[in-house]
Amino acid sequence: MYSTVVVLRQWPKLACLCRAASSIEGQMLPQSTLSSDGISPPPRIPRGPTDLLQALAATVGPDPTAAHYKYHDDPYLIPLSNYRKRAYALSAEAGRKAASWVRDNHSEWFTTREWDPPGKMKTPYFNADPQIDAFAPRPIYNDETKVTEEDLQYTMNNALLEDSIKIFQLLGGSEGVSDDLKLQFLQLLCFYNEREPDSMEWLEERWFSANTRERQSTTWKLGSLADTIFTSMQPKTSEAYCAIIQGMAKYYQAERAHMLAQEAIEQGIQLSTSVYNSLLACVGFLREGVVLRIEALKELLMKMNEQGLTPNEETLTSCLKSISAWGGGRPLQQFALQIIAEFKQLGIQPGLSAYYYLLCLFCKERGPRVDILSPILNDLENRQKLDAREPTDTNFFITAMSVCSDHLQDINMAERVHALLMKDDNYKLVGDAYKESIYYRHYVTVACRHAPFEKTTQLLDTIVPNIYVPEPSVMEEIIKTLEVGGAGDRLAQAWSQLIVFGHAKRTKLIERLVSAMCTCYPYQDEEIKTKMRSAAADILRFDENVEEQADKKDLRSPVKKLSANAISNIIELCSDTIDKADPIWDSVEAGIQKLQREEASGVPTNPQAIVDVAQKAAALGKQGIAAAAVTYLAECGFEESTSASVQVLSIMLNRPAEEVEALLQEQQPDPLTSSLHPSAAAVAEAYQVAKTGVRSRQADTSSSSSDSESSSDDE
Amino acid sequence: MNTSIIKLTQASLINFLSPQWSAALTSQIHTSAPLCRVVSGKYRITKKRDRPLTYEMANPPHYIAHRKSWNSWNTSSLKDGLRRSETVLEDEFIRRFMTGTWHGLVCSEVIIKRQFNHIRVAAIIRRAVSPTKMYFLLGYTEELLANWLQCPVTLELQTVDSFKDVVFKYI
Repeated sequence: MYSTVVVLRQWPKLACLCRAASSIEGQMLPQSTLSSDGISPPPRIPRGPTDLLQALAATVGPDPTAAHYKYHDDPYLIPLSNYRKRAYALSAEAGRKAASWVRDNHSEWFTTREWDPPGKMKTPYFNADPQIDAFAPRPIYNDETKVTEEDLQYTMNNALLEDSIKIFQLLGGSEGVSDDLKLQFLQLLCFYNEREPDSMEWLEERWFSANTRERQSTTWKLGSLADTIFTSMQPKTSEAYCAIIQGMAKYYQAERAHMLAQEAIEQGIQLSTSVYNSLLACVGFLREGVVLRIEALKELLMKMNEQGLTPNEETLTSCLKSISAWGGGRPLQQFALQIIAEFKQLGIQPGLSAYYYLLCLFCKERGPRVDILSPILNDLENRQKLDAREPTDTNFFITAMSVCSDHLQDINMAERVHALLMKDDNYKLVGDAYKESIYYRHYVTVACRHAPFEKTTQLLDTIVPNIYVPEPSVMEEIIKTLEVGGAGDRLAQAWSQLIVFGHAKRTKLIERLVSAMCTCYPYQDEEIKTKMRSAAADILRFDENVEEQADKKDLRSPVKKLSANAISNIIELCSDTIDKADPIWDSVEAGIQKLQREEASGVPTNPQAIVDVAQKAAALGKQGIAAAAVTYLAECGFEESTSASVQVLSIMLNRPAEEVEALLQEQQPDPLTSSLHPSAAAVAEAYQVAKTGVRSRQADTSSSSSDSESSSDDE
Repeated sequence: MNTSIIKLTQASLINFLSPQWSAALTSQIHTSAPLCRVVSGKYRITKKRDRPLTYEMANPPHYIAHRKSWNSWNTSSLKDGLRRSETVLEDEFIRRFMTGTWHGLVCSEVIIKRQFNHIRVAAIIRRAVSPTKMYFLLGYTEELLANWLQCPVTLELQTVDSFKDVVFKYI
């Protein structure tokens, strides 16, 4: 979805308009093609080679219900979690890379050139017309290769930096290369700082590339190849100076860059506007303190004026970049606004990067709330087209959305930003996978917190899971919203989503989900209640499976256990059935056993829930479960366990509670328990444990014969 | 009519050329009628009736365009069609490359469709390897074939759980 070309949704309309406009123009300025009979054919509209394709593509909008087209359309091959999305796309690219490795290293197998048609065949094996470079093996350069200047030109044109350095050395360094090529080579080195750039060929790698934040630290290598080439150049031309100064400034070797610029000016060498732009971007490294820095910036702008250079959009961007890097505060903000006003007078509109830096400057995390975003959006919405001009342009939308979410906390603003991103082909400005996911993280968070419930669910249904898969923190936010909205069926669905997204092992998230389900449960329809019960039972089962697997594999890091609270919640959910034969009782039993075996961390904070479960189980004739629950309560030493055991026993024996309590207090456990059903005996035992804190005798606490008949026989 | 023309030319050639050439020429031009049409493209019934056939295999060639369709889609065999022999050879190459690269995974015939300069290769694949590996093979196959055939190649795969899912009947 990130590069769907949606250039002109209303292409035919626009084409019509264009034609009409041009024919009007044609009438005003009569052309020689105008024939005598008054029929004037419209002038030809020049079309680019891809216009037709773009028009076709514009008829197809993005489809959020399908996976991105880079994934194969097959249920087995469609990724549903973030990890899989990344893994699948990169695997396909790895396959491509393997294939091109084979092609490059075994170029003797790739000598065929297809020709078409055969009648025009002149020489076999090299007759492709047009010859497509993309399908030809790439040359490999090593120390033995015979190289010429053409090879250097080729590698430089394709930005193969390491190869070009090798060829440069093979050619004999600075002496062996003509001045023109040497200058080009210097420009290449300065642009990339002698580091091999990410190839344009591998899109997915760029898209999923590690989120290396651009750090403002000196990365320029002093005394490197670029420096030696520059010193060896005689005479030093204006282009050489421009290249080396821009390279140094780009990689934050600020002092040297400014020194060289000074040197150039003293020698009367003309410097270009972009040199000044790059100097402006790193002017802050020269001085300390806001006032001095502002002065230095102004000085540099004055110097530009003296040289007779007109500033452009980049000048504005680099000024703002510098200012935003100097911290916040009133004077800087004022200065930034002044600069923008001044540039507007010159007829230069701030681009997306400029606005990005402006947002950085004004919307600090713990600063006062400043609504600078709405005038920015007003401006951008009125523009015909948003063009990507600088790499930082892709930061605008993610920053704008984070301002909406953290700073303004305004869903209407967030929707405006999103509408702008979805307009035409603005989606190309979303950046890469990392930025895209952060963008949606902010969007979903702000929607969960501040949007009406229906709108939030609608948004989630649209973008999850094909466009965006929520991270655990966002999932928690979503669960909170669903809890507040009281959507029981969506909570039950959320469990299956957790599994699909690969978050099912995150204990904290599951505990949150279970407690949310518990809160919503009482006021749901019967049908939804059933769904929620089965989801709860499934959570328990999944947890057991995970533990089993962990035991089998003998993992070094122990799996985090579900808390006792969560399990008691699950038990509470599952026990809400009046059907004795419901298989869900197995889950209840498993849950209580889990609690008893102390496989859960902590103790439940709400023992009353377990008391209720015990009573319900006893009433339905599930003595085993009731006895286990009461025993667990007694063992944990809850205050409720005494009254609970009395109540449960009274239900089991079908006698009033007072009588049962009196019987139990007779302190004659042996004759009493010997005549009772094992489950009832276990309850009596639990009563003693709760009373005295010690066990009177060894009893089989986990009596599993839950389905046996109720023992109501007299003593 | 074709055969008669060939025979005529052969006869004239034999008359025209010297005898030591005629032997070589006659052996190179295939003139026998397609007698194998009774058995070709059809499968023999086994004694135990346990030979699995896919739908495509179960229908003999004369059902093409009635019950099943072609395995290669291109325009080279139309009037003035281009690259006849090359197309056949390339298709065979693609099929062998597919079955070899997706070793033991291809459960059906490999269908090759050509549109403009674009080749689409379709097949049914067994889910015997992980999706990640499948994606690797996908990228690998597309890129290598594209480099050999000098045009964009797209794989259009469908996956099934086991070979049994594509069995239409046993004979």
